[in-house]
Amino acid sequence: MLRTIYNWLDERLKLTPIRVALLEEPIPGGASWIYVFGSVTLFAFLLQMGTGMFLMLSYAPTADHAYESVRYIQEEVPFGTFLRSLHHWGASLMMVAVGLHMLQVFLYGAYKRPRELMWLVGVVLFLLTLAFGFSGYLLPWDQRAYWATQVGVNIVGTIPLIGETLVRIIRGGPTLGTMTLSRFFALHTVFLPWLLMGLVVLHLIILRRLGPAGPWDPARATAFSEPFWPKQVGMDAVAMFAAFLILVSVALWLPPSLADRANPADTTFMPVPEWYFLFYYEMLKYFRGRWEIVGTVIIPVLFYALLFLLPFLDRRPERRPFSRPMAIGAGGLLLAVVFAFLTMSLKAVASISLTDPSVARGKQLYQALGCAACHRIHGEGEAVGPDLSNVGSQRNAGWLMHRLREPESVQPGSIMPAYASLSDEELRDLANYMVSLK
Amino acid sequence: MLERRSFVTGLLAVLGMVMAAVVGIPLVGYTVLPALKKRPEVWIDGGAEAELIPGQPRELKIYQTITEGWHKTTLAKSIWAVKQATGELAVYSGLCTHLGCGFRWDQQKQEFRCPCHTAAFALDGRVLGGPPPRPLDTLPAKVEGGRLLVIYKEFKAGATAKIEI
Repeated sequence: MLRTIYNWLDERLKLTPIRVALLEEPIPGGASWIYVFGSVTLFAFLLQMGTGMFLMLSYAPTADHAYESVRYIQEEVPFGTFLRSLHHWGASLMMVAVGLHMLQVFLYGAYKRPRELMWLVGVVLFLLTLAFGFSGYLLPWDQRAYWATQVGVNIVGTIPLIGETLVRIIRGGPTLGTMTLSRFFALHTVFLPWLLMGLVVLHLIILRRLGPAGPWDPARATAFSEPFWPKQVGMDAVAMFAAFLILVSVALWLPPSLADRANPADTTFMPVPEWYFLFYYEMLKYFRGRWEIVGTVIIPVLFYALLFLLPFLDRRPERRPFSRPMAIGAGGLLLAVVFAFLTMSLKAVASISLTDPSVARGKQLYQALGCAACHRIHGEGEAVGPDLSNVGSQRNAGWLMHRLREPESVQPGSIMPAYASLSDEELRDLANYMVSLK
Repeated sequence: MLERRSFVTGLLAVLGMVMAAVVGIPLVGYTVLPALKKRPEVWIDGGAEAELIPGQPRELKIYQTITEGWHKTTLAKSIWAVKQATGELAVYSGLCTHLGCGFRWDQQKQEFRCPCHTAAFALDGRVLGGPPPRPLDTLPAKVEGGRLLVIYKEFKAGATAKIEI
């Protein structure tokens, strides 16, 4: 049956040469599981395209309706939460896939001559992926989206001379508002997808012109080769399916929440970016005042310059990792720094010290007593009372215990209810939890 | 070698179908189901029933809140309420059954007249003249606590049968 359809089409479209060209590409050294990440990245992108297109059916990119339309998707449209969750976590899948793909290419020295251009296009694709993540984050138009974007845009504002102008161009005006939303929406759904698709095609054309780099050991690379079909195709498919299963499970298990509607007047909101920007967010904390520009401009510019220039700086033909101590050492150091910052930031955001059981008990009490009905920690909870995201850097445990037992003793006129009924130990746990919030 | 090829082909087909189903079914549901959702029937207040004079049709403005997805709009709609001499209550949609123009009550001729194509309807909704294919469309109505309550509906213009849209 399929064969008949294929033959019919083949006679009219001359498919066989295309099929042969696509599938018979020789892979030096044979198929390998290590080569699957490029395909997984492309697969993740196609999933994002699919879910994104459908989300647009029920989304309004204006400040007065965006939030309500996302809530409508979440609460009223059948499968709406699932699709939004797939799209939300799909972004993370894409980041992970891009990261692993770049890591593999780096480890295998596959960016070296003659594949410099493929690497350059790849670095641009990486930047586009980040731009996708950043522009998409604003679209739900909730507090988290609004304030995280505010911070992100203001980082651009620290660039000397042209910063303020650039910020205005990004925002589409003097403030972050509906013009910004329109811009981010158009960028996220039209400009970036077309640009990315074009560059993916270019990336693949270069790949097909040069062929894959293969194993780092030249003897193994030239010893034998194996066509793309069927083994590598099968491996790619299994990897895509595994990525798909993980994505669907996470999407079902952890649907994204929607914070309060964006409120430009509520400046108490403490935004937290997506995990893939967290390490950077953490790093920025170390550059304050006049040193801020080091974190916001100098380090990112150096980082991207290094990424772009990598194949021109590292020009020895040697591809074996053990014979490239400089490159591998620098790459390893970079990864270590990124993961160190990420871990620190995750710790700060989760605000729970794993070594102190008192803090964990305090966190449980915080939830059991319903403190979140009035207080907000990293975007969770209401904004009736003070935001507690950073309370640990402002107050000590003793003060907090007084405050909890008898609020008016330290702050006359406070509307905070007294928690005198708690035992001293419970108060201490709660205060310790507060102190851990920094 | 040939066996491996057909194994991979089969694998691709199975994995592809599983993924297409897991994503495809929600996508279809997401797209199709909201569009097929029935409009909820809401009783709208049409004013005090006592204000209706028997045999004297009265045009009422009712305010209907329409929810389209996340978007709520309140529209003013025109309906006609008639308390027949027998005391029976009839509520008509304000749109002519021919092409959906708004009709008027002609006090002298004692009939409803549509200005677009000179249609005429009797007090009980019968067609007296002109092109309309069916009588005036009645709307569900009831009186509760002295208030006239109606469900606003629209029907397909130009059809002989009363088809709700």
